[in-house]
Amino acid sequence: MSAVTHQAQAIELGGSRAVETASDHELLAAIRDGDEVAFQEIVRRYRNPITNFVYRMLDDYDRSVELAQETFIRVYTSASRYQANYSFSTYIYRIATNLAISELRRRKRRKTVSLFSPFTNDEGDAIEIDPPDLNLLQDETLIQNERRRAVARAITSLPQKYRAAIVLRDVEGLSYDQIAQTLRLSEGTVKSRINRARNLLKEKLTAYI
Amino acid sequence: MNGCKYIRELIDEAEKPDLLPFDVSEHIVQCTECERFANERIALRQLVTAGTRVSAPINFDAVLKARLSEVKNRSPFWWLGSPAFLRLGAATAGAVAMLVVAQYTGWLSNNTPPAGEPIAEHAMAPTPDSLKLLIPEPAPPPPIIVRSPSHRKPSNARHAIPADSAMPAGYVSAEDGGVVLLRGRNGDVDVQMPTVSVGAQPLLYVSAGQRTARSVGTSF
Repeated sequence: MSAVTHQAQAIELGGSRAVETASDHELLAAIRDGDEVAFQEIVRRYRNPITNFVYRMLDDYDRSVELAQETFIRVYTSASRYQANYSFSTYIYRIATNLAISELRRRKRRKTVSLFSPFTNDEGDAIEIDPPDLNLLQDETLIQNERRRAVARAITSLPQKYRAAIVLRDVEGLSYDQIAQTLRLSEGTVKSRINRARNLLKEKLTAYI
Repeated sequence: MNGCKYIRELIDEAEKPDLLPFDVSEHIVQCTECERFANERIALRQLVTAGTRVSAPINFDAVLKARLSEVKNRSPFWWLGSPAFLRLGAATAGAVAMLVVAQYTGWLSNNTPPAGEPIAEHAMAPTPDSLKLLIPEPAPPPPIIVRSPSHRKPSNARHAIPADSAMPAGYVSAEDGGVVLLRGRNGDVDVQMPTVSVGAQPLLYVSAGQRTARSVGTSF
């Protein structure tokens, strides 16, 4: 039903103003009809959030960019099968989440060793070994950078099921409902995972809170 | 304090860390533990949110366009050459080869006799010599001796055919646990068949009671 509705909404999006004001679903309907401009608009809207989200999941910028591009390629190639049951942001975050989790699993199989977390616990999740640096930092910029690095390391050391939930909530600002749809979990499970993730982060970032 | 768990859930679920619901604000004025929890959560969420957001590189669109045109131009059967598919194909071929080998080496057959039961000579795996017994000679039909049950020895007599028996070499008696019916050559031979199963292609299955079973596929 939704597909038919949005097919009907596949208005002419030739003008740049029409494209900019069109909703995500209208753009998807136009992409289905082969409108390249509509696809460019979708890319413009979501390239930064998706890149940032995957980066927070992987802590690897180059790979994050590749996976963000892969996300858009999948959106384009599966546009004909897209059903507007949920918001488009949920749909695209789901694709990006699946790609990021696949990448994390691939890395786990290859047993890549991070210099920051060379040890793992019984479940195979990285345990961060972060000895305190007793030297005084002179520059505020250095302090901020160090804080950012500590937060990034703390997030990437979380088990992946907690990581996706906390990044979607606290970094990307999605609602619990959207996260539940993105991760295909119940809202209660999402709340529980976010609570657990925050407790773990609090333990790792005590020095910065 | 009663209700602290509920209040902490509300603190965690707050849309913005510094905008707490009225119930929570009212509670944390009286509860120091929950106030400390709320302050920790606010600080933590601000710390996580404050991290630098990365942006897509300048050439993001150009690289995406190139990758997309590559996807559009590739063959519909491109996945046949993908490493994942090749790995899957190799694994499947290996599994099939192992199954074939196991089948031909007899690992998958369950014709093993019960423990402690003596194995009849004819019930063993076919050897070139034993196969000769089953393949009739092209010579003219040998004389057939009708063996009624009264002429037979007790059922536990599992022994070789006596030398003075008129049974031709090309036959196996029912007493030996196997019967072969040959087109036009069995005549009115009286054989005991404890079990007969008939399938799409006539199949005679002989099971000599507690003896080792053997099946004989033939047409008649």
